[in-house]
Amino acid sequence: MASVIQIILNGLVLGGVFLIVAIGLNIIYGLNRVMNLAHGSLYALGAYFGYTLVTGKVLLFGLDFEFGGLNFFLALILAPALVGLVGWVLERVLIEPMRDRPMIYTLILTYGLMFLIDGLIKANWGDTPHYIIPPEFLQKPVYIGDFSYPAYRFALLVGVAVVMGLLMTLLNRTRMGINMRAAADIPEMVSALGVNLKAVRVGAFVLGCVMAGIAGFLVGPLYPILPIMGHDMLISSFVVIVIGGLGSLRGVIVAALLVGFVQALAEAVITNFAMVIVYMLMAVILVFKPYGILGEGKFE
Amino acid sequence: MSNRTNQAPGSLLRRWSGAHPLSLGGFVLVVAGMVVLPLVVTNPFYQNLWTRILIFGLLAMSLDVLLGFTGLLSFMHNSYLGLAAYAAGLFTINVNPESLWLAMLVGVVFTMIIAWPVGWLQVRTGGLAFALLTMAFGMMYYTVAWKWHDVTGGDDGLVAAIEHGLPKVAEEGMVPYLDINLGPWNLGNTSDPVHVYYLVLFIVVVAFILTHRMVNSPLGAVLEAIRENEERASFVGINVRRFKLIGWLVACGLAGLAGTLWMFLERNIAPDTMHAFEGAEVLMMVLLGGMGSLWGPFLGAGIFILLKDCLSSATEHWEIYVGLVVIFLVLFLPKGVAGLSSMLRRKPSENK
Repeated sequence: MASVIQIILNGLVLGGVFLIVAIGLNIIYGLNRVMNLAHGSLYALGAYFGYTLVTGKVLLFGLDFEFGGLNFFLALILAPALVGLVGWVLERVLIEPMRDRPMIYTLILTYGLMFLIDGLIKANWGDTPHYIIPPEFLQKPVYIGDFSYPAYRFALLVGVAVVMGLLMTLLNRTRMGINMRAAADIPEMVSALGVNLKAVRVGAFVLGCVMAGIAGFLVGPLYPILPIMGHDMLISSFVVIVIGGLGSLRGVIVAALLVGFVQALAEAVITNFAMVIVYMLMAVILVFKPYGILGEGKFE
Repeated sequence: MSNRTNQAPGSLLRRWSGAHPLSLGGFVLVVAGMVVLPLVVTNPFYQNLWTRILIFGLLAMSLDVLLGFTGLLSFMHNSYLGLAAYAAGLFTINVNPESLWLAMLVGVVFTMIIAWPVGWLQVRTGGLAFALLTMAFGMMYYTVAWKWHDVTGGDDGLVAAIEHGLPKVAEEGMVPYLDINLGPWNLGNTSDPVHVYYLVLFIVVVAFILTHRMVNSPLGAVLEAIRENEERASFVGINVRRFKLIGWLVACGLAGLAGTLWMFLERNIAPDTMHAFEGAEVLMMVLLGGMGSLWGPFLGAGIFILLKDCLSSATEHWEIYVGLVVIFLVLFLPKGVAGLSSMLRRKPSENK
């Protein structure tokens, strides 16, 4: 029984992380029609920024210095913001000039970007694993009867819920979010109504990058932070958005939880080929629903 | 590219090849140069390097069939090279350590058998999901090749599988050398780099001619129509999914062919070869050479491999340069070197 609860909780944790990464990817796609293959690398960057801020050990290509280190929760806000800043620069310098080219070019461009960022991470922080140390009260396990589960994983679930709540508020209650949702549907009309479409698109790109940064930071205390950590996450979030439907936000929520549970179950039963089971699931769903369970482009 | 709808009645060769006499002459010249190359380059290391260039050129050309002619993107085309290499290697070790042609056939057929259902699934989704799925499936093959230690030998590749219990037909623990037989004649053995080179050159030239013929046939025209506008292609009655699948299978079969050649050259295959990073390199060869030209990818493979040979000893952060070059190519040279040459050849009046 305890193991069943554990699998369910693990599924929720995995699904929650997939959800934040994949929804960021889908927000970018929904408004910019760009599939950002560097998204996994931005996720890794979030974790590395978090590590740097929490420990206070700044490595910057030889320009190394130290400061006291920030509070975990302050870093949780700052690290994604820094990733968002990187995203803003990328969108201005690389994505914007490519807007009118066929999608194949932006795909290849962001693919190159992925290697560039991974290479820079490796050159700066090295190949050895790092960890973000969570605050003291989150380091102990929580006991429910005789069943124990790490407190940080519960905290991560709370974090995911808060982030999703904030995102939904942003999309449904603020002017910017409403513009985004409208622009995902009919960009011409939104533009004709006098909304600065370019600003909306930049905003969506930055928002997506921030989501990747948050997920990377949240995962930092859980798994080793490595330069290649983004690859697996990128692939998993592809699986999630292909199942959920490209550009569909609700589809991603369903798909992320589904993939999270299946992977947690597969990891508990067979360790080596867990991902293969997930691909099988994707294959079966795609046979019946080629454009994802909720269809493409339902940005709501 | 010649105008295929309105071809002037020329020689049979020209009509069949669909090529301009000048480019036909260039092709013969290049092949002749490649034939005499081993007489000039006698160092076995560089002979192997040229063989690698030809094999990766073939792989890049197979990706070009997909990318430049069908308009579909495969991020991890190298995984189909890997699949074929594993199949041919395992076949040589376990079943028949003698026949080279049979191993080649097994490698290609196995690749097509895997590629068929995967392609069937992929063409059902849109163009973007297609590209994402190639990456997902590629990572899946990689994981299987890496983790299925008993069969594939895991990290170290087939060499390790041979050491761990598989029949030791192999000398020095590698996939055995094979005789190159053509009917009753023995043309050589894969232990000689020059013989491997000529074998690879022969296969690559035949594959190039056949692929060139294919993309200049009505089938090629259909694929290009799909690339240009999928919707219109379906309006004129083309079964888009079916032809995308055909393009995909041709590309995977050619990649498989390159994989079996790789096995004859290297006598080992490790999961590294199937990694996403290698996939990016293949993509870069196509971009560098220019997509949609067939010969461009060979040029790209040559430039890339020679450049990497020079640079890899100088820097350990190869990834950064790969990334920078890809970004540069997409931003400033989207048609590659082949596009550059046609840009220079075009008369100024046509250059709008």
